[in-house]
Amino acid sequence: MRLNSRRKAAVERMVEKDYSSSEDAALVKASQGGDMVAFEQLVARHRDKVFARALSMVRNEDEAVDLSQEAWVKGWQRLPQFLGESSFGTWITRIIINLCLDHLRKQKRQRVESIEAMDEDSGGVERQLPVVTPNPTARLERQELRQRIDQALNQLSYEHRTVLVLHEFEEMEYKEIARTMGCSIGTVMSRLFYARRKMASLLASFKRNDLT
Amino acid sequence: MTDNETQLKLQAFLDGELPEAEAARMVDRLARDTECQALFAELTATSHALAGFETGVTHPESREFFWSKVARQIDRAAKPAARPSPTPWLRLVLARWLTPAAAVAVLAAATLVSFHSGLLPGQLVKASAPPSHADIADSGAFTYRDFGDHTTLVWLSYPADSEVADAEPPVSWE
Repeated sequence: MRLNSRRKAAVERMVEKDYSSSEDAALVKASQGGDMVAFEQLVARHRDKVFARALSMVRNEDEAVDLSQEAWVKGWQRLPQFLGESSFGTWITRIIINLCLDHLRKQKRQRVESIEAMDEDSGGVERQLPVVTPNPTARLERQELRQRIDQALNQLSYEHRTVLVLHEFEEMEYKEIARTMGCSIGTVMSRLFYARRKMASLLASFKRNDLT
Repeated sequence: MTDNETQLKLQAFLDGELPEAEAARMVDRLARDTECQALFAELTATSHALAGFETGVTHPESREFFWSKVARQIDRAAKPAARPSPTPWLRLVLARWLTPAAAVAVLAAATLVSFHSGLLPGQLVKASAPPSHADIADSGAFTYRDFGDHTTLVWLSYPADSEVADAEPPVSWE
Protein backbone atom coordinates (compact mmCIF):
# COMPACT_ATOMS: atom_id res chain seq x y z
CA MET A 1 0.00 0.00 0.00
CA ARG A 2 2.73 2.39 1.10
CA LEU A 3 4.98 1.17 -1.68
CA ASN A 4 2.23 1.72 -4.24
CA SER A 5 1.71 5.27 -3.10
CA ARG A 6 5.45 5.90 -3.29
CA ARG A 7 5.58 4.46 -6.78
CA LYS A 8 2.63 6.60 -7.78
CA ALA A 9 4.35 9.66 -6.40
CA ALA A 10 7.51 8.79 -8.31
CA VAL A 11 5.56 8.38 -11.55
CA GLU A 12 3.83 11.71 -10.95
CA ARG A 13 7.19 13.37 -10.46
CA MET A 14 8.44 11.76 -13.68
CA VAL A 15 5.47 13.18 -15.53
CA GLU A 16 6.04 16.59 -13.98
CA LYS A 17 9.75 16.74 -14.77
CA ASP A 18 11.14 15.88 -18.16
CA TYR A 19 14.91 15.86 -17.89
CA SER A 20 15.60 14.10 -21.17
CA SER A 21 16.98 17.25 -22.79
CA SER A 22 18.81 18.59 -19.73
CA GLU A 23 22.59 18.88 -19.61
CA ASP A 24 24.51 16.57 -17.27
CA ALA A 25 25.57 19.56 -15.14
CA ALA A 26 21.93 20.52 -14.53
CA LEU A 27 21.03 16.93 -13.70
CA VAL A 28 23.93 16.71 -11.25
CA LYS A 29 22.83 19.93 -9.55
CA ALA A 30 19.24 18.69 -9.24
CA SER A 31 20.47 15.32 -7.97
CA GLN A 32 22.65 17.00 -5.38
CA GLY A 33 19.46 18.63 -4.14
CA GLY A 34 17.92 15.18 -3.64
CA ASP A 35 16.04 14.88 -6.93
CA MET A 36 16.09 11.18 -7.76
CA VAL A 37 14.29 11.67 -11.07
CA ALA A 38 17.25 13.72 -12.26
CA PHE A 39 19.63 11.08 -10.99
CA GLU A 40 17.70 8.37 -12.82
CA GLN A 41 18.27 10.33 -16.03
CA LEU A 42 22.03 10.34 -15.32
CA VAL A 43 21.92 6.60 -14.72
CA ALA A 44 20.05 6.04 -17.99
CA ARG A 45 22.61 8.11 -19.91
CA HIS A 46 25.80 6.61 -18.53
CA ARG A 47 24.87 3.09 -17.46
CA ASP A 48 26.06 1.44 -20.69
CA LYS A 49 29.51 3.00 -20.42
CA VAL A 50 29.80 2.12 -16.73
CA PHE A 51 28.73 -1.46 -17.42
CA ALA A 52 31.11 -1.76 -20.42
CA ARG A 53 34.04 -0.62 -18.30
CA ALA A 54 33.18 -3.09 -15.55
CA LEU A 55 32.85 -5.88 -18.12
CA SER A 56 36.21 -5.04 -19.71
CA MET A 57 37.84 -5.26 -16.31
CA VAL A 58 36.14 -8.21 -14.59
CA ARG A 59 35.23 -10.26 -17.69
CA ASN A 60 32.00 -11.59 -16.15
CA GLU A 61 28.59 -10.18 -17.05
CA ASP A 62 26.83 -10.89 -13.73
CA GLU A 63 29.67 -9.41 -11.71
CA ALA A 64 29.77 -6.41 -14.04
CA VAL A 65 26.02 -5.82 -13.51
CA ASP A 66 26.38 -6.03 -9.71
CA LEU A 67 29.43 -3.79 -9.65
CA SER A 68 27.83 -1.19 -11.88
CA GLN A 69 24.78 -1.17 -9.60
CA GLU A 70 27.07 -0.60 -6.62
CA ALA A 71 28.82 2.18 -8.51
CA TRP A 72 25.55 4.04 -9.02
CA VAL A 73 24.61 3.71 -5.36
CA LYS A 74 28.04 5.03 -4.38
CA GLY A 75 27.66 7.76 -6.98
CA TRP A 76 24.43 8.92 -5.34
CA GLN A 77 25.97 8.84 -1.87
CA ARG A 78 29.08 10.76 -2.97
CA LEU A 79 27.30 13.32 -5.15
CA PRO A 80 27.75 16.10 -2.56
CA GLN A 81 31.52 15.64 -3.01
CA PHE A 82 31.37 16.03 -6.80
CA LEU A 83 32.50 19.56 -7.53
CA GLY A 84 32.60 19.32 -11.32
CA GLU A 85 36.41 19.25 -11.83
CA SER A 86 35.79 16.57 -14.46
CA SER A 87 32.72 15.57 -16.44
CA PHE A 88 30.13 13.50 -14.61
CA GLY A 89 30.83 10.61 -17.02
CA THR A 90 34.52 10.59 -16.10
CA TRP A 91 33.70 10.85 -12.38
CA ILE A 92 31.29 7.91 -12.34
CA THR A 93 33.68 5.88 -14.51
CA ARG A 94 36.44 6.38 -11.95
CA ILE A 95 34.09 5.06 -9.28
CA ILE A 96 33.44 1.85 -11.24
CA ILE A 97 37.17 1.45 -11.98
CA ASN A 98 38.00 1.62 -8.26
CA LEU A 99 35.21 -0.81 -7.39
CA CYS A 100 36.43 -3.25 -10.03
CA LEU A 101 40.01 -2.98 -8.79
CA ASP A 102 38.90 -3.73 -5.22
CA HIS A 103 36.83 -6.65 -6.49
CA LEU A 104 39.71 -8.07 -8.55
CA ARG A 105 42.17 -7.71 -5.69
CA LYS A 106 39.82 -9.61 -3.41
CA GLN A 107 39.42 -12.31 -6.04
CA LYS A 108 43.16 -12.54 -6.49
CA ARG A 109 43.72 -13.10 -2.80
CA GLN A 110 41.36 -16.05 -3.03
CA ARG A 111 43.10 -17.85 -5.87
CA VAL A 112 46.50 -19.00 -6.93
CA GLU A 113 48.69 -16.56 -8.81
CA SER A 114 48.04 -16.67 -12.52
CA ILE A 115 50.56 -17.97 -14.99
CA GLU A 116 50.65 -14.51 -16.51
CA ALA A 117 51.92 -13.01 -13.28
CA MET A 118 54.52 -15.75 -12.98
CA ASP A 119 55.68 -14.94 -16.50
CA GLU A 120 56.14 -11.34 -15.57
CA ASP A 121 58.09 -12.22 -12.44
CA SER A 122 60.30 -14.71 -14.24
CA GLY A 123 61.65 -11.90 -16.36
CA GLY A 124 60.43 -10.37 -19.54
CA VAL A 125 58.62 -13.02 -21.56
CA GLU A 126 57.24 -10.16 -23.64
CA ARG A 127 60.74 -9.38 -24.90
CA GLN A 128 61.06 -12.82 -26.42
CA LEU A 129 57.76 -12.79 -28.32
CA PRO A 130 58.25 -12.59 -32.07
CA VAL A 131 56.90 -9.41 -33.61
CA VAL A 132 53.55 -10.02 -35.27
CA THR A 133 53.63 -8.90 -38.86
CA PRO A 134 51.75 -8.11 -40.99
CA ASN A 135 48.92 -6.62 -38.94
CA PRO A 136 46.67 -9.64 -38.18
CA THR A 137 43.58 -7.57 -37.50
CA ALA A 138 43.64 -5.48 -40.66
CA ARG A 139 41.02 -7.39 -42.62
CA LEU A 140 38.82 -8.62 -39.80
CA GLU A 141 35.20 -7.67 -39.57
CA ARG A 142 34.37 -5.57 -36.51
CA GLN A 143 32.32 -8.36 -34.91
CA GLU A 144 35.06 -10.93 -35.41
CA LEU A 145 37.68 -8.57 -34.07
CA ARG A 146 35.50 -7.94 -31.01
CA GLN A 147 35.28 -11.68 -30.34
CA ARG A 148 39.03 -12.08 -30.68
CA ILE A 149 39.71 -9.19 -28.34
CA ASP A 150 37.20 -10.64 -25.87
CA GLN A 151 39.03 -13.96 -25.85
CA ALA A 152 42.44 -12.34 -25.63
CA LEU A 153 41.40 -10.09 -22.71
CA ASN A 154 40.21 -13.20 -20.85
CA GLN A 155 43.68 -14.65 -21.09
CA LEU A 156 45.48 -11.71 -19.52
CA SER A 157 46.03 -11.48 -15.79
CA TYR A 158 43.94 -8.79 -14.13
CA GLU A 159 47.01 -6.59 -13.60
CA HIS A 160 47.91 -6.59 -17.31
CA ARG A 161 44.30 -6.28 -18.42
CA THR A 162 43.63 -3.39 -16.05
CA VAL A 163 46.66 -1.42 -17.25
CA LEU A 164 45.58 -2.01 -20.84
CA VAL A 165 41.97 -0.99 -20.15
CA LEU A 166 42.96 2.12 -18.21
CA HIS A 167 45.37 3.21 -20.93
CA GLU A 168 43.52 2.24 -24.08
CA PHE A 169 39.89 2.78 -23.04
CA GLU A 170 40.11 5.31 -20.23
CA GLU A 171 43.06 7.10 -21.88
CA MET A 172 44.88 7.54 -18.59
CA GLU A 173 48.52 8.63 -18.51
CA TYR A 174 51.15 6.34 -17.00
CA LYS A 175 51.40 8.26 -13.73
CA GLU A 176 47.62 8.27 -13.31
CA ILE A 177 47.48 4.50 -13.84
CA ALA A 178 50.32 4.06 -11.35
CA ARG A 179 48.39 6.11 -8.77
CA THR A 180 45.15 4.21 -9.39
CA MET A 181 46.80 0.79 -9.19
CA GLY A 182 49.22 1.64 -6.41
CA CYS A 183 52.40 0.70 -8.32
CA SER A 184 55.38 2.45 -9.94
CA ILE A 185 55.38 4.06 -13.39
CA GLY A 186 58.02 1.53 -14.42
CA THR A 187 55.67 -1.32 -13.52
CA VAL A 188 52.87 0.32 -15.50
CA MET A 189 55.12 0.64 -18.58
CA SER A 190 56.29 -2.93 -18.26
CA ARG A 191 52.76 -4.33 -17.79
CA LEU A 192 51.38 -2.29 -20.66
CA PHE A 193 54.14 -3.46 -22.96
CA TYR A 194 53.58 -7.07 -22.02
CA ALA A 195 49.78 -6.74 -22.37
CA ARG A 196 50.05 -5.22 -25.84
CA ARG A 197 52.51 -7.82 -27.06
CA LYS A 198 50.45 -10.65 -25.63
CA MET A 199 47.30 -9.22 -27.22
CA ALA A 200 49.04 -9.00 -30.62
CA SER A 201 50.19 -12.57 -30.29
CA LEU A 202 46.76 -13.86 -29.22
CA LEU A 203 44.88 -11.91 -31.86
CA ALA A 204 47.14 -13.42 -34.52
CA SER A 205 46.87 -16.95 -33.20
CA PHE A 206 43.08 -17.30 -32.94
CA LYS A 207 41.61 -19.36 -35.73
CA ARG A 208 38.21 -18.61 -37.14
CA ASN A 209 36.72 -21.84 -35.78
CA ASP A 210 37.85 -20.91 -32.25
CA LEU A 211 35.46 -18.02 -32.25
CA THR A 212 32.14 -19.83 -32.34
CA MET B 1 66.87 -7.98 -30.33
CA THR B 2 66.12 -4.45 -29.09
CA ASP B 3 66.89 -4.06 -25.39
CA ASN B 4 64.16 -3.67 -22.82
CA GLU B 5 64.81 0.00 -22.15
CA THR B 6 64.56 0.84 -25.84
CA GLN B 7 61.35 -1.19 -26.14
CA LEU B 8 59.73 0.71 -23.28
CA LYS B 9 60.93 4.03 -24.68
CA LEU B 10 59.49 3.08 -28.05
CA GLN B 11 56.16 2.43 -26.36
CA ALA B 12 56.36 5.69 -24.42
CA PHE B 13 57.05 7.44 -27.75
CA LEU B 14 53.92 5.86 -29.20
CA ASP B 15 51.89 6.99 -26.18
CA GLY B 16 53.28 10.52 -26.26
CA GLU B 17 54.93 10.08 -22.88
CA LEU B 18 58.56 10.45 -23.95
CA PRO B 19 60.31 13.77 -23.19
CA GLU B 20 60.95 15.91 -26.27
CA ALA B 21 64.72 15.35 -26.48
CA GLU B 22 64.36 11.58 -26.21
CA ALA B 23 61.48 11.60 -28.67
CA ALA B 24 63.75 13.21 -31.27
CA ARG B 25 66.36 10.50 -30.71
CA MET B 26 63.66 7.84 -31.07
CA VAL B 27 62.57 9.29 -34.43
CA ASP B 28 66.18 8.95 -35.63
CA ARG B 29 66.40 5.37 -34.42
CA LEU B 30 63.10 4.41 -36.02
CA ALA B 31 64.35 5.75 -39.36
CA ARG B 32 67.32 3.35 -39.43
CA ASP B 33 66.33 0.35 -37.24
CA THR B 34 63.99 -2.14 -38.95
CA GLU B 35 63.46 -4.14 -35.77
CA CYS B 36 62.24 -1.04 -34.01
CA GLN B 37 60.02 -0.23 -36.98
CA ALA B 38 58.38 -3.69 -36.83
CA LEU B 39 57.78 -3.47 -33.08
CA PHE B 40 56.41 0.04 -33.42
CA ALA B 41 54.04 -1.14 -36.16
CA GLU B 42 52.81 -4.02 -33.97
CA LEU B 43 52.20 -1.81 -30.93
CA THR B 44 50.38 0.72 -33.08
CA ALA B 45 48.21 -1.95 -34.72
CA THR B 46 47.24 -3.45 -31.34
CA SER B 47 46.32 -0.04 -30.03
CA HIS B 48 44.18 0.65 -33.10
CA ALA B 49 42.49 -2.77 -32.85
CA LEU B 50 41.42 -2.00 -29.29
CA ALA B 51 40.05 1.43 -30.14
CA GLY B 52 36.28 1.52 -29.86
CA PHE B 53 36.09 -1.95 -28.33
CA GLU B 54 33.68 -0.81 -25.61
CA THR B 55 31.49 1.11 -28.03
CA GLY B 56 28.23 -0.69 -28.58
CA VAL B 57 28.34 -2.65 -25.32
CA THR B 58 24.94 -2.28 -23.71
CA HIS B 59 23.68 -3.05 -20.23
CA PRO B 60 21.77 -6.36 -20.31
CA GLU B 61 18.93 -5.14 -18.08
CA SER B 62 16.15 -2.73 -19.01
CA ARG B 63 16.39 0.87 -17.86
CA GLU B 64 13.40 0.51 -15.52
CA PHE B 65 14.51 -2.75 -13.94
CA PHE B 66 18.08 -1.59 -13.37
CA TRP B 67 16.90 1.70 -11.90
CA SER B 68 14.46 -0.08 -9.56
CA LYS B 69 17.39 -2.09 -8.16
CA VAL B 70 19.57 1.00 -7.75
CA ALA B 71 16.75 3.01 -6.12
CA ARG B 72 15.94 0.18 -3.72
CA GLN B 73 19.56 -0.09 -2.66
CA ILE B 74 19.79 3.68 -2.18
CA ASP B 75 16.64 3.57 -0.02
CA ARG B 76 17.99 0.70 2.03
CA ALA B 77 21.32 2.43 2.57
CA ALA B 78 19.58 5.65 3.62
CA LYS B 79 17.60 4.02 6.41
CA PRO B 80 19.21 4.48 9.84
CA ALA B 81 20.89 1.41 11.21
CA ALA B 82 18.93 -0.62 13.77
CA ARG B 83 19.44 0.50 17.37
CA PRO B 84 22.23 -1.61 18.81
CA SER B 85 21.50 -3.78 21.80
CA PRO B 86 23.14 -2.73 25.06
CA THR B 87 26.82 -3.45 25.15
CA PRO B 88 27.97 -6.29 27.44
CA TRP B 89 29.33 -3.87 30.08
CA LEU B 90 26.00 -2.04 30.16
CA ARG B 91 24.18 -5.32 30.60
CA LEU B 92 26.53 -6.17 33.46
CA VAL B 93 25.86 -2.86 35.21
CA LEU B 94 22.12 -3.34 34.79
CA ALA B 95 22.23 -6.83 36.26
CA ARG B 96 24.65 -6.09 39.09
CA TRP B 97 23.43 -2.74 40.37
CA LEU B 98 20.17 -1.56 38.92
CA THR B 99 18.16 -4.71 39.64
CA PRO B 100 19.06 -4.82 43.37
CA ALA B 101 18.51 -1.07 43.59
CA ALA B 102 15.01 -1.52 42.17
CA ALA B 103 14.31 -4.28 44.70
CA VAL B 104 15.42 -2.06 47.57
CA ALA B 105 13.22 0.75 46.26
CA VAL B 106 10.16 -1.52 46.12
CA LEU B 107 10.84 -2.72 49.65
CA ALA B 108 11.23 0.83 50.94
CA ALA B 109 7.98 1.89 49.26
CA ALA B 110 6.11 -1.00 50.81
CA THR B 111 7.48 -0.19 54.27
CA LEU B 112 6.48 3.42 53.88
CA VAL B 113 2.93 2.42 52.93
CA SER B 114 2.64 0.21 55.97
CA PHE B 115 3.85 3.00 58.29
CA HIS B 116 1.33 5.41 56.76
CA SER B 117 -1.44 2.96 57.54
CA GLY B 118 -0.49 3.20 61.27
CA LEU B 119 0.79 -0.31 61.65
CA LEU B 120 4.23 -1.53 62.45
CA PRO B 121 5.63 -4.04 60.04
CA GLY B 122 5.25 -6.80 62.60
CA GLN B 123 1.52 -6.04 63.03
CA LEU B 124 0.75 -6.81 59.45
CA VAL B 125 0.35 -10.47 60.13
CA LYS B 126 -2.08 -9.72 62.93
CA ALA B 127 -4.62 -7.94 60.76
CA SER B 128 -8.22 -9.15 60.80
CA ALA B 129 -8.49 -10.37 57.26
CA PRO B 130 -6.57 -13.53 56.57
CA PRO B 131 -3.33 -12.58 54.92
CA SER B 132 -1.93 -14.49 52.02
CA HIS B 133 1.57 -15.01 50.72
CA ALA B 134 3.20 -16.57 47.74
CA ASP B 135 6.72 -17.25 46.78
CA ILE B 136 7.60 -17.52 43.13
CA ALA B 137 9.78 -20.47 42.55
CA ASP B 138 13.31 -19.79 41.33
CA SER B 139 12.78 -16.05 41.13
CA GLY B 140 14.05 -15.23 44.60
CA ALA B 141 10.89 -13.13 45.24
CA PHE B 142 8.36 -13.47 48.07
CA THR B 143 5.12 -11.49 48.27
CA TYR B 144 2.89 -10.82 51.30
CA ARG B 145 -0.62 -9.41 50.95
CA ASP B 146 -2.65 -8.12 53.89
CA PHE B 147 -6.19 -7.63 52.58
CA GLY B 148 -7.33 -5.88 55.75
CA ASP B 149 -4.81 -3.12 55.39
CA HIS B 150 -4.66 -3.22 51.64
CA THR B 151 -0.94 -3.71 51.89
CA THR B 152 1.36 -5.78 49.78
CA LEU B 153 4.95 -6.54 50.60
CA VAL B 154 7.33 -7.85 47.98
CA TRP B 155 10.50 -9.46 49.27
CA LEU B 156 13.26 -9.78 46.76
CA SER B 157 16.57 -11.39 47.32
CA TYR B 158 19.51 -10.81 45.00
CA PRO B 159 21.20 -12.50 43.33
CA ALA B 160 18.30 -14.86 42.77
CA ASP B 161 18.92 -18.56 43.15
CA SER B 162 22.45 -17.97 44.34
CA GLU B 163 23.97 -19.64 47.29
CA VAL B 164 24.23 -16.29 49.06
CA ALA B 165 20.51 -15.63 48.63
CA ASP B 166 19.60 -19.10 49.87
CA ALA B 167 21.90 -18.86 52.86
CA GLU B 168 20.62 -15.51 54.13
CA PRO B 169 17.63 -15.84 56.48
CA PRO B 170 14.62 -13.64 55.71
CA VAL B 171 14.36 -10.51 57.79
CA SER B 172 11.83 -10.88 60.56
CA TRP B 173 9.68 -7.94 61.67
CA GLU B 174 8.21 -9.77 64.63
